[in-house]
Amino acid sequence: MGQGSESKRAQKYIKDLRSKFPGAILEESSQAPDQITVTVKLNDLPGIVEELYYRHNGWLSTMLGNDERELNGCFALYYVLSMEGNSNKRENTWITVKALVPEKEPQFPSVTPRVPAAVWYEREVRDMFGLEPVGIPDARRLVLPDDWPDNLHPLRKDAMDYRYRPEPVEENYNFIEVEGEGIVEVPLGPLHITSDEPGHFRLFVDGEYIVDADYRLFYVHRGMEKLAENRMDYDQITFLAERICGICGYAHSVAYAAAVETANGIEVPPRAQYIRTILLEVERLHSHLLNLGLGAHLVGFDSGFMHFFRVREKAMQMAEILTGGRKTYGINLIGGVRRDIFKEERDQVLRLIAEIRTELDELLDILINTPNFISRTQGVGRLERQVARDFSPVGPNMRGSGYARDTRADHPYGAYDRVSWEVISKDGCDVLSRELVRAAELYESFNIIERCLTEMPPGPVLTEGFAYKPHTFALGYTEAPRGENVHWLMTGNNQKLYRWRVRAATYNNWPALRYMFRGNTVSDAPLIVASIDPCYSCTERVTMVDVRKKKARTIEYKELERYCRERKYSPLKF
Amino acid sequence: MLKLLKKALQVGEATVEYPFKPVEVAPGFRGKPEYNFDRCIACGACATACPPNAITMEYDLKQGTKTWNIFYGRCIFCGRCEEVCPTGAIALTTEFELAVASKEDLYYRAEVQLRKCSCCGEYFAPSRELEYVMSTLEQSGLPEGDRQGWRQLLEKCPQCRRRQAAVSVAEATGSRDRVQGGGQ
Repeated sequence: MGQGSESKRAQKYIKDLRSKFPGAILEESSQAPDQITVTVKLNDLPGIVEELYYRHNGWLSTMLGNDERELNGCFALYYVLSMEGNSNKRENTWITVKALVPEKEPQFPSVTPRVPAAVWYEREVRDMFGLEPVGIPDARRLVLPDDWPDNLHPLRKDAMDYRYRPEPVEENYNFIEVEGEGIVEVPLGPLHITSDEPGHFRLFVDGEYIVDADYRLFYVHRGMEKLAENRMDYDQITFLAERICGICGYAHSVAYAAAVETANGIEVPPRAQYIRTILLEVERLHSHLLNLGLGAHLVGFDSGFMHFFRVREKAMQMAEILTGGRKTYGINLIGGVRRDIFKEERDQVLRLIAEIRTELDELLDILINTPNFISRTQGVGRLERQVARDFSPVGPNMRGSGYARDTRADHPYGAYDRVSWEVISKDGCDVLSRELVRAAELYESFNIIERCLTEMPPGPVLTEGFAYKPHTFALGYTEAPRGENVHWLMTGNNQKLYRWRVRAATYNNWPALRYMFRGNTVSDAPLIVASIDPCYSCTERVTMVDVRKKKARTIEYKELERYCRERKYSPLKF
Repeated sequence: MLKLLKKALQVGEATVEYPFKPVEVAPGFRGKPEYNFDRCIACGACATACPPNAITMEYDLKQGTKTWNIFYGRCIFCGRCEEVCPTGAIALTTEFELAVASKEDLYYRAEVQLRKCSCCGEYFAPSRELEYVMSTLEQSGLPEGDRQGWRQLLEKCPQCRRRQAAVSVAEATGSRDRVQGGGQ
């Protein structure tokens, strides 16, 4: 790839960095016209990331560690920032700040005190690579289980075989302790409060009000990155990527394929881009309908839930017609797609879209006019704008807080820059805004699918006969129903990947959840969690602590969900 | 509330009576992969492409067999096997009811005979695969004389072929003794 000249968009940022941090930038390289990587001195890392994040309207999209000892004798850290906020979206770019960490001294200055969004990423790097973030405010484990040996870091190349399972050691996880009068600890779980998945929540309550929250997740961490690096070929991972999530799997598959394509300079035919775009939107339809249904269920409006699921079935049928699978589309290959869309299939899908649109009009009308719905969701689970700025959340979660961030518009991929559509945002910052964003986005999805199906250019759908280049790296990104998914990868020898880093949408949303809980009642907790539409498999129980009586009790998930729906017989009273 | 009641009456029943009535799936549905033994040439393309390693191939050089093996418990129904198979021996069906009472029933295997090398007498490749290659050459319009030469070459195992090639090169350059000494 060309150096410098192609990355004009990033130059204004680089120039500014060079003047503010003289001598800090060691190297520049460009992976795509809108992807640039700058290698900086380790000590200047926090300053440079902070500068780009706060001064230049950057958002922390992903961060990863990489064991590059075989390549250059060091560990590497990559902070991927999405530079947005340009009046002309075409000037948006990705800047990756890279720093090398010497093998002998495995530590780096933590960015978290300056940019809170980096907290989870740095905790993960510590778990996986044994690199110590010096000065990080929260140094607990994040990804590895509590019974994992201390000195075994799975993603170090020389650490372990991917089939190895270490003997359990004594487990210990330090939940934060809230001092204060009248705070009760309420354990929620061990199953998740909205989607029956594992995660341990600890809510600190004063009477019925939540004063703080803490959570332990990653009970279902599956080690996919390690598996992919060790056992699978690069062209098989599109199928593995699709299984990261049961809802937004296709978005992961596209992001993965796009990353490989960018790293190797493979051109994807326009028709394939249109087909990918159509399927991504079909996926958004079913996911948003599911979440709206779930929202209805949690405010006690179960018949609404049933009706949303009935309509959702049509979106599943669409996928079945187009791909042969109701949820796992399995249609992506590196270089394009495997199946074309024929006229008959197109007509069937257009008919289904028209049906869902009329059904949805009626259903949303009923939902909004259900008195319970507005009163339960308005002003609940507020994600304040400043918290959102600090933690880089993504998706409808972010767009419900007034930021019109959408990867489809900020960094267009697929056919999103070829069809016209609008980014939806609301500024209520609450559960209601997030659900309304989803509802409005459904209509945009209908338009995109219709436009794509009718305007699709003819031609091949797959590029074949490309060469796989070892040790090149690039980003792949998509806007999944829950927000932006970012895949970073580095190719390796023997058709294998050297490093694959998946960042699912929910990963960026979790750290801000703590602030969304504060000030709400216990009965709102499941609703707040549901409104960020979390995905445990992508990233992963409830203990309640009474701060006044200093007592802790565990509440069953079913019990808390019932309380959320009925709001009678509080489980805290017994 | 009334609106919802009206809606519910209008829609009627939304559920199907499965499993008491069959469920219809779309024509291109990716269901259980079916294997056709008569067409299989045991080339192993499906095993190489299979992302979850549901399809595997094993050589038994003592018995002279190559075994094709599928474990439906691992299958992710991606359809890559169907796509890469040169002879159409494996194809996805619309069948999705795969529950069985014992794990063993999820395995399906087939054995293909291997051919002995005409030179050293060791088993090396499936007979069907060699026949397939020969018939492809025939169809591509190779003259009869060349076909015989190809057949002789294909019936030898890769080691013997390599040795033969080295010997013929050595003969052509007049250094036969040295190559043999090195080759042994």
